[in-house]
Amino acid sequence: MAMNESGAPGGTSFGGASEEELLPCGRELAQVWELAEAGEPDPHTAGCAHCAEALRALRALEGVVARARDDEPPVPPWDTAALADRVMDVVRLELRPGRTLPLGDVDEDAWIVEAAAARTFRAAVDTLPGVRAGSCRVEADPQEASAAAPPPGRLPRGPARVRVEVQAGLSWNLQLVADEVRARIVGAADHELGMRIAAVDVVVTDLLDGNEDEPGGDGGGRDGDETDSGVDSTGLGKGDCGGDEDAAEGRQR
Amino acid sequence: MPGDRGREPEDADAPLPHEDALLAVRAAEGDEEAFEALVHRHAPVLLRLATRLLGSPTEAEDAVQESFVSAWRKLPEFRGDARFSTWIHRIVTNRCLNVLRSRQPVTALDSVPEPQAPEHQVSPPRAAEAHAAVADLSRAIEELSPEQRVCWVLRELDDVPYESIAETVGISQEAARGRVFRARRYLTEAMAGWR
Repeated sequence: MAMNESGAPGGTSFGGASEEELLPCGRELAQVWELAEAGEPDPHTAGCAHCAEALRALRALEGVVARARDDEPPVPPWDTAALADRVMDVVRLELRPGRTLPLGDVDEDAWIVEAAAARTFRAAVDTLPGVRAGSCRVEADPQEASAAAPPPGRLPRGPARVRVEVQAGLSWNLQLVADEVRARIVGAADHELGMRIAAVDVVVTDLLDGNEDEPGGDGGGRDGDETDSGVDSTGLGKGDCGGDEDAAEGRQR
Repeated sequence: MPGDRGREPEDADAPLPHEDALLAVRAAEGDEEAFEALVHRHAPVLLRLATRLLGSPTEAEDAVQESFVSAWRKLPEFRGDARFSTWIHRIVTNRCLNVLRSRQPVTALDSVPEPQAPEHQVSPPRAAEAHAAVADLSRAIEELSPEQRVCWVLRELDDVPYESIAETVGISQEAARGRVFRARRYLTEAMAGWR
């Protein structure tokens, strides 16, 4: 809070403090107010009529300021939802340059922008209880890039490599959560996008304790039952799920 | 005393930092829904701040709206070195500072205008006093320089430490203290009729 204004007492000199800001007792007005604000005891002020008057003026101002704050409407007069709509209207009209990724087989001509693919993958990851996806980048897998040069701004046709960062609840076993995240992403790529995946790199960036892994009310589904992934199609099969009964609870199997 | 002010509304429903960080990363990568969530989470506090800074809810809405659009454009450069809330507060504060600066003809930085004589040289009847004093305060705040006003509002109404004011406004801590002091001095003089 406000108490960390260190080093104030004594000789703090204010930029622009001039002689007219000296009280008749010789004290700098700035210093008197500053000590009072910092809650520092000030023996001189206690017995000085000039300082007392200066403090009365400050307290009187604070009193009016407090009243002004009390007068602020408890329920803000703004329509936050309408404001958000207006902001998002502008945002959606703005084109973010982004990579375009191939969908389907080599001979197809279907594409998706990276941001849309990433959104699908994040949503799939978020269905795992206590797990939330952050950064999600999708790239062509260099080893499998096809020889044909892609159109400008598009990635070569071929399976994609996904790199995703996740936050997970403390109850998760790291290997298990990585395996489950992979499975969700591969499943979403297959069922929702028709994108071939070469590999999924999972980076666990944060382990959150129980209170923290509840999002602040943005309603991300976390029951985690609906995405039953066809994990094994790319040879990325789920790891051994044994050993962590708590974490394994409630997921597809 | 700053600690006695007994107001926590801004903090009570403060967005969780790690959730913000996650949403900001998503938004930086082009996830509009994540950005929309950030707008919903932060708009109420920012609107209150902008209204305090500008004294007008309508102008505050415009400033906050423009700040969010600007934030969306800058998000790919946001590396998470600061908290998202700090970052967006800074954008809104600077937007408001520019609005204040554009309102008035150029005045010397940190110049202290001559306080206008209070309308009531004699204390008015108690009944209307509180309201009239607040109205006088609002008028007096309008007379502050934009720089003083921003620093004073952050300190006095939003309870922001000097250190953070300095960081937000991009000045030294000493300069922030100086501006708050000069604003206080002007306001105490302008409100002298109420003592």
